[in-house]
Amino acid sequence: MNSWRLPAGLAMATAVGVLVATHGPAFESVAAQQPAGGWVQPKTAWGDPDLQGVWRYEASVPLERPAQFQGRASLTDDEVAQRQKVEEEQEAQRLAGAEGTAVGRGNLEQSPIRGNEYNSFWQDHGRPRQVYKQTSLVVDPADGRIPYTPDGKKAEARATARYGAGPYESYLDPDTGERCLTDGVTALMWQGPNGGHNRIAQSQGYVTILHEEYLDRRIIPVDGRKPSGIRQWFGNAVGKWDGNTFVVETTNFIDRTNYEWASIFMRPSETLRLTERYTRTGANTMDYRITVEDPTTFERPWTAQIPITRLPEETLIYEYACHEGNYAMTNLLAGGRADAAKRHK
Amino acid sequence: MRAGFWGAVSAAAIVVAAAGCSRQSTSEPAGSAAAYRAPRTADGKPDLNGIWQALNSANFDLRAHAARPALSLLPAAGRSGVPGLVRATAVELPDPAVRPLGAVGGVPAGEGVVVGGEIPYQPWAAARRQENAREWLKRDPEIKCFMPGVPRATYLPYPFQILQSTNKIVLAYEFAGATRTIHLDKVGDSPSPTWMGWSRGRWDGETLVVEVTDFNEDTWFDRAGDFHSDALKVTERFTPQSPYHLTYEATIEDPKVFTRPWTIRMPLYRRVEPDKQLLEYKCVEFVEELMYGHLGVIDPATGLKNK
Repeated sequence: MNSWRLPAGLAMATAVGVLVATHGPAFESVAAQQPAGGWVQPKTAWGDPDLQGVWRYEASVPLERPAQFQGRASLTDDEVAQRQKVEEEQEAQRLAGAEGTAVGRGNLEQSPIRGNEYNSFWQDHGRPRQVYKQTSLVVDPADGRIPYTPDGKKAEARATARYGAGPYESYLDPDTGERCLTDGVTALMWQGPNGGHNRIAQSQGYVTILHEEYLDRRIIPVDGRKPSGIRQWFGNAVGKWDGNTFVVETTNFIDRTNYEWASIFMRPSETLRLTERYTRTGANTMDYRITVEDPTTFERPWTAQIPITRLPEETLIYEYACHEGNYAMTNLLAGGRADAAKRHK
Repeated sequence: MRAGFWGAVSAAAIVVAAAGCSRQSTSEPAGSAAAYRAPRTADGKPDLNGIWQALNSANFDLRAHAARPALSLLPAAGRSGVPGLVRATAVELPDPAVRPLGAVGGVPAGEGVVVGGEIPYQPWAAARRQENAREWLKRDPEIKCFMPGVPRATYLPYPFQILQSTNKIVLAYEFAGATRTIHLDKVGDSPSPTWMGWSRGRWDGETLVVEVTDFNEDTWFDRAGDFHSDALKVTERFTPQSPYHLTYEATIEDPKVFTRPWTIRMPLYRRVEPDKQLLEYKCVEFVEELMYGHLGVIDPATGLKNK
């Protein structure tokens, strides 16, 4: 995540471009959202289920289940009402220009992604976040927690402690976001408002996902071909239709575990394997599930169930020229040199 | 479309050979546009889906040019030695920064892709173009892995993919992962200047016509220093000519830099290898040492402290 740098792209324009006031009731879970009366899955001209549009995650469900909800997969109705009130207040505060805890700048526990907890305007949807009964996006294992290996846990803790803190001795030390490399495939669909818009475009034989931040792009063949075997940052994705569900298997990721200070979602390993299921549940809702397997980092596969929202038809994603305007890199390194000079005085 | 591989290769090879020996290729559309009707997509439009690539030296220099030893050249020094002898003198020599590349770093000749041959620069801009060429190693945005802009993205030596939906056409370029969305539906204006422009498309018979506006002034047209301002407008025409090639034409208007509109034209070839995919060329990682290595406390290239 690259929340403190004003990108040459147009995150701000995007954030304000999609203001839509919708206050809905809390959803039981994504799966429980019944297609709105009479909604039928549309098809493309060549007969595939049509998933096209600009989609983003805008719920308030944390990735992992907070300790206070241990043993519970769902919030009570009272908790939902309370949370809805908080989200509405926080949004009003954001629109009024407030900062800090008043706008939900709390801690990592409250935040599904790192970086959500500060500079909250970057994370502003322009409307209150949606409240769901789910207590965590992680639905398997049943405790709602990511089953890290001990080494994986340590690596993630190191990256979290180091994030935004440095020291920055070289361009290798900021995370892959500050380096304008990628958000990583794992978190692409549920990053949130700051550059987390995803345009799904379909052409015969392909589903393409254009992610705004870092120009991340996936061109997913849906023609029965095998993975190329060429290791890449975004691996080799192959797609197929299972009824109206788009299923994507991605393997052959490049090894970038050496990028120590990046979140585990942003530095793939060769053993990473992702299985995604995209199922539209209505005109503007999608049940997105991702199963993450990587014996290097996790004891067992885990699955997150993530509600995704389709934005109005006229929503556009914009050119995110990150690397072209990465003045933050030179400034970070200048700061790193100043820090080093101080330490050696 | 899965034509037999070898049949397709030989057809493409014939097309390449034909284009290669025809000096007409920049003044007349390749082939006869009226003669070929492309297959249709499910919604009845000419089907441009596929992976395409230019096969020419336009990215080195849009104009006709002879081969030369390197992209960055320095004048050869005079010789001194035994008095009274007449001596051979060197032609221009490769800049020491690129000299170790030898023949790999040379520039292949090309017949040029500018219709009429001339780029109509205003006098100040012609001088600036020459300065850009001399300072190529410092100034060419391709070296820094910046988004290549339009039309340059089309004839970089990397493939690009056309992904054709109904109201949007995605042009996905391998270089730097650059992407454009061509809007066939009505969209608002670009809120800001951009690297890859703001693309609005329409069908003109067999031809996809794209008007591209809202550029910044930071992209180039080639490695020879050809440039534009933020007043650039590019009108592109993609016209299918056979199952294996199309004609790409781009008309360039920029009243701040040129005296009149001018046009480039070239064939683009379909990549017909079975299961050909666009692969990653995420070059930001490739240029970090060049751009930032000297700025850190420690240079990762040497593991040593920077001075």
